[in-house]
Amino acid sequence: MTDAVTSLWPFLVYVVAVLLLVATMLGLSFVLGQRRANRATNMPFESGVLSVGSPQIHIAVEFYLVAIFFVIFDLETVFIFAWAVAFFELGWEGFIAVLVFIAILAVALVYELSTGALDWGVKTRAGAPRPESRQPQEEQH
Amino acid sequence: MSMPALILVLLAGGALAWLAQRASDELPRWVALATVIGALALLYYMAVELPAGSLALASDPRQAPSWPLYLKLDWIPRFGIALEFGMDGLSLLLLALTLLLGLIAIASSWTEIDFKPGLFQANLLWTLAGVCGVFLALDLFLFFLFWELMLLPMYLLIAVWGHENRAYAAMKFFIFTQASGLLMLLAIVLLAWRGASAGNGVSFSYLDLLGLELDPRLAWFAMLGFFLAFTVKLPAFPLHTWLPDAHTQAPTAGSVLLAGILLKTGAYGLLRFCIPLFPEASATFAPVAMSLGVAGILYGALLAFAQTDCKRLVAYSSVSHMGFVLLGLYAWNHLALQGAVVQMLAHGLSTAALFMVAGALQQRLHTRDMRAMGGLWHQAPRMGAATMFFVLASLGLPGLGGFVAEFLVLAGLFAVQPWFAAAAALGLITAVIYALWLLQQTFQGAPDERRQMADFGVREMLAMGLMMIALLWLGLYPQPALDLAQPVLDGLHDSALQPPAAPLAAAGSAP
Amino acid sequence: MNAADFQALLPLLVLSGGAVLLMLQIAFVRGVNRSAALATLTLVLAALSCASAVEQAPRQVTPLLVMDAFALLFCAVFCLAAAVTVLLSGDYISYHGDEPEEYFLLLVLSTLGACVLVSANHVASLVLGLELLSVSLYALIAYPNKSILPLEAAIKYLVLSGTASATTLFGFALLYAATGTLAFDALGEQLTATATGRPMLLLAGAMVFAGLGFKFSLVPFHLWTPDVYHGAPAPVTGFLASVSKAAVFLVLLRLFLDADLFRYRILVELTGLIAILSMLAGNLLALLQTNIKRMLAYSSIAHMGYLLLVFMVCIERDNRGLAVEAAAYYLIAYIATIIAAFGLLTLVSARQVEREDVQLQHVSGLFWRQPLLACLLLVALLSLVGVPLTAGFIAKFYLVVAAVDGSNWVLLGALIVGSAIGIYYYMRVIYYMSRKPEQQVSQAAPADGLAVRVLSGALIVIILLLGTVPQPLMAYIRSIL
Repeated sequence: MTDAVTSLWPFLVYVVAVLLLVATMLGLSFVLGQRRANRATNMPFESGVLSVGSPQIHIAVEFYLVAIFFVIFDLETVFIFAWAVAFFELGWEGFIAVLVFIAILAVALVYELSTGALDWGVKTRAGAPRPESRQPQEEQH
Repeated sequence: MSMPALILVLLAGGALAWLAQRASDELPRWVALATVIGALALLYYMAVELPAGSLALASDPRQAPSWPLYLKLDWIPRFGIALEFGMDGLSLLLLALTLLLGLIAIASSWTEIDFKPGLFQANLLWTLAGVCGVFLALDLFLFFLFWELMLLPMYLLIAVWGHENRAYAAMKFFIFTQASGLLMLLAIVLLAWRGASAGNGVSFSYLDLLGLELDPRLAWFAMLGFFLAFTVKLPAFPLHTWLPDAHTQAPTAGSVLLAGILLKTGAYGLLRFCIPLFPEASATFAPVAMSLGVAGILYGALLAFAQTDCKRLVAYSSVSHMGFVLLGLYAWNHLALQGAVVQMLAHGLSTAALFMVAGALQQRLHTRDMRAMGGLWHQAPRMGAATMFFVLASLGLPGLGGFVAEFLVLAGLFAVQPWFAAAAALGLITAVIYALWLLQQTFQGAPDERRQMADFGVREMLAMGLMMIALLWLGLYPQPALDLAQPVLDGLHDSALQPPAAPLAAAGSAP
Repeated sequence: MNAADFQALLPLLVLSGGAVLLMLQIAFVRGVNRSAALATLTLVLAALSCASAVEQAPRQVTPLLVMDAFALLFCAVFCLAAAVTVLLSGDYISYHGDEPEEYFLLLVLSTLGACVLVSANHVASLVLGLELLSVSLYALIAYPNKSILPLEAAIKYLVLSGTASATTLFGFALLYAATGTLAFDALGEQLTATATGRPMLLLAGAMVFAGLGFKFSLVPFHLWTPDVYHGAPAPVTGFLASVSKAAVFLVLLRLFLDADLFRYRILVELTGLIAILSMLAGNLLALLQTNIKRMLAYSSIAHMGYLLLVFMVCIERDNRGLAVEAAAYYLIAYIATIIAAFGLLTLVSARQVEREDVQLQHVSGLFWRQPLLACLLLVALLSLVGVPLTAGFIAKFYLVVAAVDGSNWVLLGALIVGSAIGIYYYMRVIYYMSRKPEQQVSQAAPADGLAVRVLSGALIVIILLLGTVPQPLMAYIRSIL
C-alpha cells in the first residue's frame, strides 16, 4: 500500500487540486453572483441565439446501429495494433492468429451485410419477410 | 435371487396392469390379482425351500450365515452400498401379511374404481413392492430407498382416487413421511460414516453396523432420526395427525394398505433397526417412548370415540392400537416383543377389515357420517355380522388375535414398568367403548326403511372370511407365528450388546 | 501452440468454428431447421471431441486455460445440455418465429462461454468466459419472443448482471493490486506469502464472491432470479438455470481450490451463511408461487444453496476430494433435471399465446392428456425433491455424506429443513398434473412429435440411470480428481 502511495502522490495532488479549483469557481460565483428572476433567466443559453423547436428530435435508429458497429470494429482494430507492435516476435504463429481474427471479423461483416443491418431505411433481409413478423419491427421505430 | 424376484414380480405386475388397461377396464384387476397370488406362491416356495429348521435357530443377526435367506450383490461400491437382502421368520410373517392384505385390497377395490383402473392397480402393486422391499432390505441405504419408494404410489392412490379432501390429505401424508425420512437418511449416513471412521471402510450394511461402538451423543441423535421416521409411520402420538386425514381420504384399498401394512413398516423399523442399532440410547429413551405409547393409546381411543366419520374412528383406533406396539417394543423383553409382533399382525387384519367395511358403507351410502346410518343390520346382516366380528377383534376379545397381543404386551410391560402397564390397560376399556360405539351407530338402532343397501357379496365375504380365519388362528393357536418370530427376537435381543437397562435385563430372561 | 495443444482445445475450437459457420449460414441461407441442425451437429461434435481431448488431459494450454479431465467432462455435459435445449425448443422457436435463427447461434456462443469458464484457471479467461456467457444470455432472453415480459427480463438481467460483472472485476483488480498476478495458482502462492486477514484481500474476496454469487443467484443477490426466469423463454431459462449456473459455480470452486482461498475462514463462513439463507429463503419463497417458472426459480436458489455447502466442507483439506466429487455429481444430476423440467415447460407452452406464463393450471391433468410428458415432469420434480431412484436423490445423498464428513451440522440442519419445505411445492405440481380431466381448463396442445418423444424418453432414462446406477459416473469423477 505504501509503495502505491509514494508512486501515486503527484496524481493524488493533481486530483485534489482539480477538485479545489472547481469548488472555488462554483463557490465564488455562488457567493458573488447576482440573483435575478427575469423572463429570460431560465432560457437555455446558446451563444445568444434563441433556441427554436423541441430538443426531442427523432433520430433514425440506424444512427445508433452504425455507432455501435463503429465502436465494435474500432475496438477490434486495437487488437490488431497490439499484434503489429510485436509483429516480429510473434512470427508466423501470430500472423495466423491475426488472420483467423480478421477472418472472423469478415464473417461478422458479411453477416451484417446480408441481414440488412447496414441498410438505411427499408430493410431488405435475406429471408423472405413475413407479414406478421414485420409488425414488431415497425413498432420499435 | 428369490427375494429381489418377489419385488420384481410385483413391480412388473404393476406395469403390466397399467398396460392391460388398454385392453379393457376389467383386465387390470385380474392382472393384479394374478400378480399377488403369484407373489404369494413365490413366498410360499421360498419358505418351503428353506433348509429345514433354519427358521427355528436362534440367530445372530450380525452373521450372514445365520440368516435363513441371504443375498448380497454389489451396487455402489464407492460407498459400500450393496443390494443386500435377508429374510428371517419375522420378515416372513410380515411379508405374508403384506401379500394377504394386498389380496384383500384388490378385492375391496374390485368395483370401486372407475377412473384409470390400470394405473390404480399398478400403484397398489408398487406400494406392495415397496413394502416387501422394506421388509427384506438389509442394507440401510436400500432400506431407505424402499422406505421412500412406497410413499409415492401411496401418495398417488390418495391424491388421484381419494375422496373430497384428497389434496390436503395426500400432501400431509407425503410431507410428514418424507421429512421424517430425511432425518433418517441423515442418521443413516451419520451411522455409516462413524462406522467407517472406526476402520474397515464405509458400509451401509445392517450386519456391519449392528453393535457398533458409538459416541453416546452421536448415538442419541442418530437414534432420534430413526425414531422420528418410524414413529411418524407407526404413528405415535403426537406425530399421528397425518393418519386420520390420509385414512379418511384414501380409497378403500388405500386405507387397507395404509392401516394394514404401511403402519407396520414403522414398527418393523423400530424393532429391526432403531432399537438394536442404538441399544444404550434406546434404553435411556425408553421411558419417553413408552409414555408416548401410553399417550397414543388413551388419546387415540378418546378421539376415536368423538368421531362421527366412521373411517376417522377406525383411523384413531389405529393410533390407539399402535401405541401397544410401541410399548411392547420399548419394554424390550421377550414377552412384550412377542406381543408387539402379534399386535402388528392382528391389528393389520382387524383394521383392514374395518376399513373395508367402512369403504363398503361409503360406496353404498355415499357418506361416512355415522349419524346418517343406523339399523343397517336389517338390510345387510352379513355385513353386520362381519363388522361385529372385527369390532370384537379390535377391542381385544379373548380368542381373537388382538387379545393375545395385548395380553402379552401388558404382561411383558408389567415386569418392567408396572405403572405404564396399568395406564395402558385402561386402553382395553376405552377400546370397548369406541368399538361398540361404531357398531351401535351403524348397524344397530332403528332401520331407515326408505334406504336400500346391498349386502356383502361372495367376493367380499370371501375376503372377510380369510381375515376371520387368520384372526381366529392368531387368537386360538398363535404358537406357529410365535415360533417363527421367537428366534429372530431372541437374536435381536441378544445382539444389543448390553441390555437396555438393568431392570429390563432381569425381566428379559424370564419369558 | 502445438498439435497436442490443439487437440486439448478441440471442444472449444469446434464450438467456435460451429458458431462462425452458423453465422455464415444465417447470412446466406436462412432456415430454422437448418440452423437447428447445424447447431445440434456442432454441439454434439464438441461433446464428442471432449473424448479426444481427454487424451491430452491435463494440459495447460496457454497460461489461460487448463484442459483437465474435469473441465472436459463438464464441457461435454454443457454441450449435450445445450444440444438437448436446441432440440426441445425447435417447436417453440419456429412457432412464433421472427427470423429466430440467431437463437441457435447465441446458444452455441453461450455454451462456448460456459466451456471457457470451466477450463479457466486465469482471471482473464474467467472474465472472458463469464462475459461471453452473460452477453449471449442477455440477447437470448430477449431475442426469440419479442413481447414485453422477455424484454423486461432481458433489461433487468443486463443491468444487474453488468453490475455484478463490474463488481467481480473490481474484486479481481484489488486482488491484482495485492498480489501482482492473475493466474489462480500464482495468486494462491502470493497470498500465502502475504499476511491473511488484510482488509483489502478480504474485500477483494467478498467482491469476487458477490459478483459470482449474483450469477448463480444466492440469497442476498437473488432478487433478479424470479423475474428473469419468469420472463425469459422457457428453453433459455432452462439453459440459464443449469449450464450457466454450473459453469459459474465450477469456476468459483476452481478459483477457491487453486488459490486456496479456503484459508480465509471469514470468507468461507460467509459462504456458509449465504448457503443457509439461500436454502431457507429459496424454499420459503417458492411456497408462495403459482407460476411454475417462478417456483422453479426460487427452488433453484435453494438448490444452489445446497450446493454451496460444499465450500464449508472444503475447509478441511482432507475432505476436499469428497466435496468436489459431491459437487460434480450434484451438478450433473442438477443439469439433467433442470433441462428436463424446463424442457417440459417449453413443450407445454410452445403453442400457447402467452408463452412465458406457465401457471399450475396449465399442467392440470397433464397425466391423462400427455402421459409421456407428464412422466418427464414427474421424474424431474421427484429428482428435485430427492426421491430415491432419481438423480436428485443420489446427488443429495452425496451432499449429505460430504457434510457429515465435514461435520457441518448447522448446514445439514438447514438442508433438511429446506428439503422438507420443498416437498410441498413440488408435490403440488404433481397433484395438479394428476387432477382428473373434468377439472382441467381447456388449453393449447403441447408440442408433440417423434423427436420430442424420443428426447423426453431419453431424459427420463438419464435421470433414472443417474439415480439407479450411479457407480460408473462416481468412479469416473473420482478417477479424474
